[in-house]
Amino acid sequence: MRTSDMKNSDFTAKPRNTIAPIDRLIWHYENPDAEAMAAAAGNVPVVGVTSNTAPWELIRAAGAFPCVINSGNPNYPDIGTFMEEGVFEERIRAIFGAAISGDLQHLSLLLIPRTSEQEYKLYLYLREVARQDPTRRIPPLYLYDMLHTRSPESYSYGLERTLCLKERLEELTGKRIDDAALLYAVRESNSARKAIRKLLSLRNPVPRVTGTEALTLIGASFFISRDEYAHLAGQAVEMIEGRAPVAGKRVMIAGSPLNHRGLHHALEKHGAVVVAEDDWWGSRSAGMDIADGSDDLLKAIFEKYYLDAPSPRVFPFEIADAWFQEESTHGIDGVVFYLPPEDCVVGWDYPRRRRFLDERRIPHLLMREDAGSISEECHEQIERFVNNICIR
Amino acid sequence: MAEKQLHCTLAAGEHQKAWFAQLRKDVFEKQRPYAIIQADMPFELFHVMEVPVVSNQYWAAIISAKRLSGYYLDALNSMGFHEGLCRYCSLAAASTLANDPEHAPWGGLPKPALLSARLTCDCLQRVFAIWAEAFGSECLFIDNPGAADLPPRWWEFSRYHWRELFEEHRLKFTVTQFQNLIEALERVTGRQFQIDRLRDLMERVNRQEEYFEEALQMICSAPRTPVRMHEQVANVMAAQWKRGSDWAVEHARTFRDEIRNRVRQGVAACPGERLRLMWVGAGIWHDTDFYTAFEEEFGAVFVWSMYLAFGPDGYIRYGLDDPLLALASRTVSMNEQLHNPPWANEWIVHQAKLHRIDAALVLTPMGTRPAATGNRFIERALEQAGIPVLPVVADMVDARDWDPDAMRLKVSEFLRHRVLPHLNSARRHS
Ligand code: SF4
Repeated sequence: MRTSDMKNSDFTAKPRNTIAPIDRLIWHYENPDAEAMAAAAGNVPVVGVTSNTAPWELIRAAGAFPCVINSGNPNYPDIGTFMEEGVFEERIRAIFGAAISGDLQHLSLLLIPRTSEQEYKLYLYLREVARQDPTRRIPPLYLYDMLHTRSPESYSYGLERTLCLKERLEELTGKRIDDAALLYAVRESNSARKAIRKLLSLRNPVPRVTGTEALTLIGASFFISRDEYAHLAGQAVEMIEGRAPVAGKRVMIAGSPLNHRGLHHALEKHGAVVVAEDDWWGSRSAGMDIADGSDDLLKAIFEKYYLDAPSPRVFPFEIADAWFQEESTHGIDGVVFYLPPEDCVVGWDYPRRRRFLDERRIPHLLMREDAGSISEECHEQIERFVNNICIR
Repeated sequence: MAEKQLHCTLAAGEHQKAWFAQLRKDVFEKQRPYAIIQADMPFELFHVMEVPVVSNQYWAAIISAKRLSGYYLDALNSMGFHEGLCRYCSLAAASTLANDPEHAPWGGLPKPALLSARLTCDCLQRVFAIWAEAFGSECLFIDNPGAADLPPRWWEFSRYHWRELFEEHRLKFTVTQFQNLIEALERVTGRQFQIDRLRDLMERVNRQEEYFEEALQMICSAPRTPVRMHEQVANVMAAQWKRGSDWAVEHARTFRDEIRNRVRQGVAACPGERLRLMWVGAGIWHDTDFYTAFEEEFGAVFVWSMYLAFGPDGYIRYGLDDPLLALASRTVSMNEQLHNPPWANEWIVHQAKLHRIDAALVLTPMGTRPAATGNRFIERALEQAGIPVLPVVADMVDARDWDPDAMRLKVSEFLRHRVLPHLNSARRHS
């Protein structure tokens, strides 16, 4: 979350109006720390996670409050003392800044999954800052080293790492994670997934919600309890179902993950409606349910994150591209590839994915600017692109 | 081209050339399989299976030294791969994608039987998969588990206590990856892997690195360095690419002997040596003269780079009853040891003290940005140890943004305005 995107993070300011679920979800998206702070104030251990491949259910089953960290200032002055310019994504810089400045001290644990190599480096950097300067109030750190290559060895390794994480969480909260707790957590998170999938069905093929709003409503799920989320999102869905379709060219965003609404907003300002994003913050946040009838729930949870969570480390290409290829050929009028200036990874996928679209005559646009501060020139480019798209 | 003072440097160059010519002959005429692999791969397994290897970084350095990097990187960019992507690891692939053997050094890389890389970043699986597709070759990856336990002073444990130094689950996992690689090599060669051959090879690698260690100790203790950094690199890397082979062990011994003779005879690489410099990062392969450019005016000699120093500390493994596990321990943390906190900063400061370093230049590779991770920690640690640091923003293989004069001027100013006053004041106070 960009600082400009954030409002007052005082959790007491949360709208209590139960008949305004959409407002409440928006508020949570814009105040990503609020529920975590409230939980910590109520002596509930809070476990912050830095991205999507950390098993939410395990944290919940241990009796802790799980939340994705999406706050912090990527321009916090001390970041440059430790982090090289132009190497890390803004979001990772912001998390680092928040951690070294003491803004994450309400966390009982900062769990860093190996979703990307940048997160592994984030772990090593934070560990070292904490070692060199113990006066900084950096929360305890944990690396959840699930590997994303699809091989039997990576599978076994990941499962073993998941067992170790379970033990660490039990130690943290003093609560044993038993099957009943796991089942409860799985059902809770599945209910949130179901609500998200419902929301997604209102984006495509007939969009009844803008991409900007959808991203916000989905994003709130990372910051609040999933029970509450499922409840609010379910109500929001009912309200949105009654809306008239949103007019516009149906655009999908692919490329680097977007933890803010800048690009959606820009595209929609120029007559597009963003109906999907190849991104764990949006269309790929929920995925499939965890089988709650499994006789090995821990394994089922692990498999969910191993097999059904996007990560730049997923390999081979056939698996990494599967979602993109499926979605871009269903109800999409055009695709915007978002490769921000600091991209060093997704750019390798761009020519291959572009070729895929060219072969199917799906128009596309490459955007290399930071979506947080889009220039006039880029706005014009977007406008031209959207205008030239033929509705399919 | 920087001056070569050691006979063995010429021999290393000749050997490399002859080896590659033979490789092309073997591959084209005898259809002998070879592999292209990333520099941090377990070369030992390929050697044991008698599969010749070309390292990605070696080939990139050759292209760069022949001043072809701009040509190939432009070709890569024209295919839609943007300019912000890592150049060092993709330059050799670009030379294949450009599909222009007439331009390529020595006629270009022939089709390999196998390409392989460790997944130490998020780019390599992409670069190697694209490259393998262009060749129509098999590609195999070794996934890379992350380290959470990084005890201080790793180099004091790496030789004898490597089982404790690296987390057991990481070693075990890496062995499983090596087993996959061995299966692929067996498939490619039709030969069976023999663990005893690996053990023998590992023992010879130890001997090779022990020679390098003796050489390093002489560089540390001689009044003036007997060998410049770029010659260290040329000799060490020629041997490391073929580590454990008879030629490599013998070459390491010759290198040691030549240095020993020079030290005994009081021969210095730069008789006017007054400042000892450290180069942190990969070399600037397109302008190796850069490394001798500050001798005349300042008596400033580059005496250290990771290439020689990492051999002994990073490679020697004693206790080879399970050579595959020992090899896993040699491989699994190269990235942490060389680049990332806490291990890289701690080791580099230790090395700087051993080598009596007066100032350090740290490469920030802007054309290969993720390779810069860990740099700030290294720079801070050196400065805190009283060693002035100049960050050098440049790319190791891409000369397009490199202004040799401006860079020399910048370093000269650093030496004149930071290093010399710093040293004078330190001398006054001691
Ligand atoms: S991140 Fe490092 S290893 Fe990976 S492609 Fe770039 S330079 Fe090579």
